[in-house]
Amino acid sequence: MSVNALARPPSWHRFLLIALSTLLIALVLGMEQLAPLFRALFPDQDPAMYQRESFLNLTLAHLALVLLSSLISVSIGVAAGLFVTRPAGREFEPLVSTLAAIGQTFPPAAVLAIAVPLAGFGFVPTLVALVLYGLLPVVQNTVAGLGTVPSQTLEAARGNGMSAWQILWRIELPLAMRVIIAGVRVSVIINIGTATIGSTVGATTLGTPIIAGLVGNNLPYVIQGAILVGLLAIVTDLAFERLERRFSFGEEGNAQ
Amino acid sequence: MIELQGLTKRYGDTRVVDDISLTVEQGEFCVLIGPSGCGKSTTLKMINRLIAHSEGKILVGGEDITTLPPERLRRRIGYAIQSIGLFPHWRVADNIATVPRLLKWPSSRIAERIDELLALFQLDADGLHDKYPHQLSGGQAQRVGVARALAADPDVLLMDEPFGAVDPLTRDALQVELSRVHRQTGKTIVFVTHDMDEALRLASRVALLNGGQLVQYDRPAELLVAPANDFVRDFIGRADLGLKLLSRRRVEEYCRPAQRTRNNATASAPITWQVDADDRPMALLGGRLGESDIARTVVNNEWSATPEMSMKEALSRMVWFRVTALPVLDSEGRLLGEVTMAGVMGHRP
Repeated sequence: MSVNALARPPSWHRFLLIALSTLLIALVLGMEQLAPLFRALFPDQDPAMYQRESFLNLTLAHLALVLLSSLISVSIGVAAGLFVTRPAGREFEPLVSTLAAIGQTFPPAAVLAIAVPLAGFGFVPTLVALVLYGLLPVVQNTVAGLGTVPSQTLEAARGNGMSAWQILWRIELPLAMRVIIAGVRVSVIINIGTATIGSTVGATTLGTPIIAGLVGNNLPYVIQGAILVGLLAIVTDLAFERLERRFSFGEEGNAQ
Repeated sequence: MIELQGLTKRYGDTRVVDDISLTVEQGEFCVLIGPSGCGKSTTLKMINRLIAHSEGKILVGGEDITTLPPERLRRRIGYAIQSIGLFPHWRVADNIATVPRLLKWPSSRIAERIDELLALFQLDADGLHDKYPHQLSGGQAQRVGVARALAADPDVLLMDEPFGAVDPLTRDALQVELSRVHRQTGKTIVFVTHDMDEALRLASRVALLNGGQLVQYDRPAELLVAPANDFVRDFIGRADLGLKLLSRRRVEEYCRPAQRTRNNATASAPITWQVDADDRPMALLGGRLGESDIARTVVNNEWSATPEMSMKEALSRMVWFRVTALPVLDSEGRLLGEVTMAGVMGHRP
């Protein structure tokens, strides 16, 4: 896969990504160093620093949850999107779109409430909720991305003797990749935020200090969790933006 | 060689292609033409099985096309469509290499072939090799499309309105180039267009279709002088039939010896050319309508013809410069002979 020279992102973008990533890592590893600051800001709170678990562990657990759920969402979502754009699966398109949309319309809290009696507390119900929640943007964008491939391009591929598989791998997926990645980006960003709610059913995430802070009326806990979740979402979003640009090939056709 | 035998395509009860039989000989340039919806594109796409035929038989090189897997068949037949058919995420070289790569040619042979084709289409300058389709001009993209179709050296080339999306000037250049490539490679070409001038210009045989049926399959000149029926005559364009015919004729067919003189005073014939020591025409004595015997200096090469020029263009120049004769010049500007208005009229088409 070659990269189009015209699609290079501005240099400040790269700087921002590096700066915010550094800040995120520094906070994950060294939040405890800010204890004096939090004590000064919130003199009435004791303790003013969440210490039941290290922020590194919380972040890693959070990432593991998001990574796994996104992996499953993307696998199922892309597969479903591919299936309904093949001749054999075309009639299932409305059904799949509707199912994915239903997954998204359920509030995540409701999904958790349904999942807990079925799957117990902790990691698994949260995973189920995140997978359902992240499915729609992936399915939608896979279908949309494959739809942007011009019919003449497909005809040329067929006319030049490519098999259906070769057309999919060499033409359709590379050309649809930008839009598909945009869908994955939305899905992952949603899940980074939504995973925090998993802590209400006992999953260990960056939501744990937030929930603890809300329950115990401890604002510093909430801030410490929220800052990390927010930064994580922004850094991930910036990284995805760069990834998307790698798959832009300029305008199609014969522009001068 | 391509043979269509009783070829039919039905969608439900409508026969979009209805019992077409024709043979395209080896090395022939066959143009399928007709009004929209006449089945010309469908016919073309049935040859490489992009569309399955309902009845009849298609033989390519003597082989029934249904005996081969469609992908294998298509890799043996070049296919070119409008420029948007280039793969936008592949460089020019990758686009051209499409079929050789599918055929798993060794990469050294592919690289050689790419260079060969870029040279054939005069695309070897400007580092076009590594450009992406959206960085090309319309004409360049079109040439790459044809180069890609020729990459694996197929005997047969199918072209579906390949020049439909380019401006008239570029189309002109592309037609000249395609003619040249056809002469140089001797490929059998089947070409779909709705533009009669394009058909007359390129074809060695024209198949005129209407309502899914083959109306006439003939050499362009036959189509012009012996149209099968009124539909053919109307489609060609009744009004400028004569001019179309002249567009297929070359000046050298009409060229006749010219009268020369070295001094400008005496004209020995109604049309006499005053020439210099190198036999370059200086002026025409006589031959100007309405103004008798007025010498007119031959100032530039617009006011003349070359042997390769079409008679339509020569006639157009006579009308424009209001003369009844044009000098026919060789590449050095020397007088080869003349074409005259009377000659155009006297010549049987």
